[in-house]
Amino acid sequence: MDPRTKIFGLLSIFIISMSFNHPVYLLTLFLFIITAVILSKSMINIFKFRLVIILLFLFCSVLWPLFLRRGLKSVLYGIGMGIRLDVMIVAGILFLSTTMIEELCWGLKKFGLPYPISFALSMAFRLVPTFLGTTSTVVQAQRSRGLDLESGNIIKRVKKYVPLIIPIFVSAIRNTDNLSMALEGKGFTPHRTYYIDSKLRFWDYLIFFSFGLLVTLFIYLRIKGYGVILEGRL
Amino acid sequence: MKAVEITDLNFKYKDGTEALNGIILSIPKGEFVVITGKSGAGKSSLCLSLNGLIPKFLKGEFHGSVSVLNKDVKNNKVSELAKKVGVVFQDFDSQLFSTNVELEVAFTPENFNFSKKEIERRIESSLSLVGLSKYRDRNPALLSGGEKQLVAIASILSGSPEIIVMDEPTTDLDPAGKEKIFTITKELKKNHTLIFVEHETEEILNADRMLIMNGGKIVADGNPKDLLSDVELLEKNGVRPLDLCRLFKNEPVFSIKEGIDLFKKKRFSISDKVYENLKHKKSYGRPVLEIKDLTYSYGPQFSIEKISLTIRKGEFVAIVGQNGSGKTTFAKHLNGLLLPDRGEIKINGVDISQWKRSNLAREVGYVFQNPDHQLFAETVKDEVSFGPRNFGVPKEELELGVKESLQSVGLEGYETFDPFSLTKGERQKVAVASILASRPSILILDEPTTGLDYYETRSMMNLLTKLNRAGYTIIIITHSMWVVCEYSSRVVVMDSGRVVLDGKTREVFSKEDLLRSTKLKPPQITRFSRLLGKTFLSVEELKKCLN
Repeated sequence: MDPRTKIFGLLSIFIISMSFNHPVYLLTLFLFIITAVILSKSMINIFKFRLVIILLFLFCSVLWPLFLRRGLKSVLYGIGMGIRLDVMIVAGILFLSTTMIEELCWGLKKFGLPYPISFALSMAFRLVPTFLGTTSTVVQAQRSRGLDLESGNIIKRVKKYVPLIIPIFVSAIRNTDNLSMALEGKGFTPHRTYYIDSKLRFWDYLIFFSFGLLVTLFIYLRIKGYGVILEGRL
Repeated sequence: MKAVEITDLNFKYKDGTEALNGIILSIPKGEFVVITGKSGAGKSSLCLSLNGLIPKFLKGEFHGSVSVLNKDVKNNKVSELAKKVGVVFQDFDSQLFSTNVELEVAFTPENFNFSKKEIERRIESSLSLVGLSKYRDRNPALLSGGEKQLVAIASILSGSPEIIVMDEPTTDLDPAGKEKIFTITKELKKNHTLIFVEHETEEILNADRMLIMNGGKIVADGNPKDLLSDVELLEKNGVRPLDLCRLFKNEPVFSIKEGIDLFKKKRFSISDKVYENLKHKKSYGRPVLEIKDLTYSYGPQFSIEKISLTIRKGEFVAIVGQNGSGKTTFAKHLNGLLLPDRGEIKINGVDISQWKRSNLAREVGYVFQNPDHQLFAETVKDEVSFGPRNFGVPKEELELGVKESLQSVGLEGYETFDPFSLTKGERQKVAVASILASRPSILILDEPTTGLDYYETRSMMNLLTKLNRAGYTIIIITHSMWVVCEYSSRVVVMDSGRVVLDGKTREVFSKEDLLRSTKLKPPQITRFSRLLGKTFLSVEELKKCLN
């Protein structure tokens, strides 16, 4: 699949998820995404983030009703918001699992974003595993010096993160510095050709068309008042 | 047209560091030049001025001229100069950024605006030159250090530069990795101008010309064989001389065979009696680390399997082996960072499961390879106090501990300095001091000398010897064979997660066949002495036994 199609697909999912706030509609959307995840064999990546996904859902379901105080409807709204956030996260993970960073960068460029910006964006994703690796090493190094992250009250515990944050940041900056020199040394420039050269095919056009239709349809339905559990709120 | 023409180059970084001081250098096309010298001599700065990163990217006061293939570095964009000069950096991890090897190598020609077909052709030829044709779809981040450097080299080659500059390409590699790079160099030499910063004398001998830098100047420039046999010159400039040159006092002896021939010619012989006396019988204390059948795996395969050994108080042990052999995995069990899947570990007689985590971290000090993964405080004193403070050491004892540990590492007076302003060697010492301050009885150091020059290495190892004599049990993980021979009393050789050799240093290094299968190369003097039927661990030892 052409990267452009995937980007468009992701954006459409985001828009559709924002169109409704009724939990049942959102749940349907969620199931659709999960099906796509299973088909693309990316479940393992979703599983890695299960904690975030579950916690966000719980937070939303509990906090929204507390803020809105409109009875059963606000509970359902909260559940819907939780599902919406999870839809976005899962769709995002699905996208990153099935798309190379270089494809993302190329796709964004094709949509009109200047190359240096799309490259910087793709690098941000690319460097996450690197920094996670550094984080793990720094945590081990500081634990070896007796850093105890488990005990203490809230204020004390936040302070304890300083010996972690600083080495991680320093390492990140040094890493980026070296990377920049390497990129410059390889002649980095916006005026270039691309090894990745994807062409839009039948399926791409089909998906563009279908998603485009769905987005229009759903926005129309929302305007007409469908898929709403709580009026006056997105 | 010369490849490189430098006239009166002076460069001072924005923060005031004077990096280059009146460099005059001319390099003809096709020459293979090696630059060597101690830390801070200006080697990297010189390399970075060759493709314009100095002064365009790293700003400062730039005087003089640097001309590369007749292009003035000041008046040309870095992206233009990149077409003529390719640079490979020491840190292979941070210079690779693509999803797979193919895209990594495609990056440079993409920037040069070549057609897809041309890019394809270049990828093909670069990968085949470095021997990685089958690696196209591999993720660079998951390759070994040596393979990563080869990818970095391929990604430069695909731009077909005429000049290739490499800044310490092998320093962070294990012996197998270094071999890969040395082999490639011979290929690259054929149609490129090569300018390398290198400490490995084996590589220097491959070169046409050698430069020694010190204090931002070029202090020696000539044939490698001439310079390498001038032991005093090398030592004066912080470069480690070759063992055989030191043995035969400035005679140009570079290969083992030449050494043996000269030895016979000079009618030297070894006194067996003195040799026997070398094998000092030092007695060690009670067992401090007892490991039995230790097994651990990160994933589906075992990282370490059935490791059993006992380390006594006062020993100085070196753990060696290729990357991936399990050295660090093993070491991380000794202070409780990792817990065994199977097997037993007893520290000071107490099973690891019975130790309170913080007490264990205090008893067994672990110094990580990269000091920058630990440093975070505003002053050296705060940094060194961190450990003891975490362990609840009372104020007076803490102050004393900090003072003593800074003294031990030779950094007294540095209390108020900002750790980040120090050199790498000094930062490494701060890291060691910060572990010492908690007064562990066992000290584990992961690659304590990587990235340090000869002086700094000696300084660090002498410190460890001093600590060992004062009663610390020392365990180091290292690739540096000469360090192992000169400083450790016992060697544990690991391969594929198992211990394959474990014994006194001299005994282990006399087992050449076993060592060969693990691709570990003993120091030159040891290999030389084996041919004389003895196992010497340093030039000094051999000299002592000479008749």
